[in-house]
Amino acid sequence: MIHLESTRIAAIEGIETLMNTDKRYVMVFADSVKVFRAVEFVKKYPDRCFDVGIAEQNAVAVASGLASSGLIPFVATYAGFLTLRACDQIRTFVAYPHLPVIFLGANGGIAGGEREGVTHQFIEDLGIARMMPGMTVVSPADAFETRQAVLQGAQQEGPVYIRIGSGRDPRFYEKPYPFQLNKVSVVEERGNDAVIFAAGGAILHRAREAVQRLKAEGVETALVNVHTLKPLDAETIVSYLKKTRGAVTIEDHTVIGGLGSAIAELATQQFPVPIVRLGLQDTFAESGEAEPLLDAYGMGVEDICKAVKQVLLLKKL
Amino acid sequence: MNTLEEAARQIRKDVVTMIYESGDGHPSPALSIADILAVLYFHVMNIDPQNPKKPDRDRFILSKGHACTALYAALARRGFFPVSALSTFRSLHSILQGHPYQNKTPGLDSTTGSLGHGISIGLGMALACRIQRYQNYIYVIIGDGEQEEGLIWEAAMAAVKYRAGRLIVFADCNGLQSGGKISEVSGLEPLLPKWEAFGWHCQSINGHNIEQILSAIQNAQQVLDRPSMILARTIKGKGVPFMENNNDWHKKVPTKEELQQALKALGGDQ
Repeated sequence: MIHLESTRIAAIEGIETLMNTDKRYVMVFADSVKVFRAVEFVKKYPDRCFDVGIAEQNAVAVASGLASSGLIPFVATYAGFLTLRACDQIRTFVAYPHLPVIFLGANGGIAGGEREGVTHQFIEDLGIARMMPGMTVVSPADAFETRQAVLQGAQQEGPVYIRIGSGRDPRFYEKPYPFQLNKVSVVEERGNDAVIFAAGGAILHRAREAVQRLKAEGVETALVNVHTLKPLDAETIVSYLKKTRGAVTIEDHTVIGGLGSAIAELATQQFPVPIVRLGLQDTFAESGEAEPLLDAYGMGVEDICKAVKQVLLLKKL
Repeated sequence: MNTLEEAARQIRKDVVTMIYESGDGHPSPALSIADILAVLYFHVMNIDPQNPKKPDRDRFILSKGHACTALYAALARRGFFPVSALSTFRSLHSILQGHPYQNKTPGLDSTTGSLGHGISIGLGMALACRIQRYQNYIYVIIGDGEQEEGLIWEAAMAAVKYRAGRLIVFADCNGLQSGGKISEVSGLEPLLPKWEAFGWHCQSINGHNIEQILSAIQNAQQVLDRPSMILARTIKGKGVPFMENNNDWHKKVPTKEELQQALKALGGDQ
């Protein structure tokens, strides 16, 4: 039984904890207060929450001004309207001066946008954020990790991008664990045949099911949750590449520029092994419910099992 | 007043000299803002070159970042860094980047260069300063062509919503943009009724008249319930006759002879 817990609410809970302890934290919305279920939150901190309306570029540029004057702003709205529409503002006015601004991008992935369709399914956000020099990029597994990512992300000296879901987000960690930003979290460490690198709750559930199914067929697969895409926990990731000599990556994101690219780039430099990348294969998706959408676009349990078997074949070449 | 006119003249001389010496830059858009900068940096702004990051200082954002030679000259002449640094403009490892970069240049409050951002950033600063209970002002210069960017109008709305009375914006209206006459490139004008309709406190002045600039700032400082727009009618290339209203000088490097001619026109023997 998979429980749902909103990553949007979790993010706001994390921010509230910070705001209660440090007056430097402020928040900028772009008509996204309701999106983040933050109506009550804004009432509690009326002087430290700013809603500039449906104007993402302005939201980010205002945050640049806030951060340039000693505050630590969060900017919360839809992932794509942030990273696509306000891309220049993030790059030139936050990343370039390396200001402490934390971006929360809702509707990450096709599962995040689901029935809204392509305009609201953001499959490029992590890739764009990764390209920004000095930006920390996080794709939390669930509400627990989102809360932790907010708390720890706010301690970074430069900008941080945190991917947020639809609000109907599968819980992956039923109990708290010692989450560490900038590290991976190993889900299944045994398994020498291949390693699966995954991010996001819906995807991690599928990967875990695939690991169990493969085990029944005698294939031992490790599973690693790469919640921080940048900086990448190179040491642990390479140790799994060495141990298994073959990897599958899976992400609810285009395979160009996200987790798969990050792992492949690292492997190429430090320990080249065959890697099969699952995710959106240079295509847009369409409207649909989250779980069937992931199945329809190559991120099903069966797809993961097939990808692992393909890696096993490639290892023999 | 003579002193401020002299400061403006010095900024203009520095602009043409540093573009000649570095071999790159935008002279005429910098010349049109020299008088406003002189008034701000040499008379109005509460700033301290010995303590450039003083938290409650007044702030300045050059939204039309390509005019940065004038800002760099004002900062150097005001004592934020040695005048000798001006000749390193746009050179490798210089503190003076091709467009303003807040992490490298002492006294520079905001990165700019991609157009349309100054008012938004200024609004963020005004909000941050309000939270911290500073009684300072945030000054911004935008271009006229720059107002073709939609973000300007996003900021125009938000600044009124947040009653950013300590945000004072000059529009350097020289009538020209990179591609030609503004009246030919876009449907920007009339500007004054637009800003009035957005709810700003508006004034129109001659942007080369020191007295008018000063008095417009004093008026704007008294209005604390809404942001202020000062539409400054200016001449692109002002002070150097062969550059005035000649858009070839939007981005162009003077020859040695042209530099001497420009300095002579500006009344310098530098």
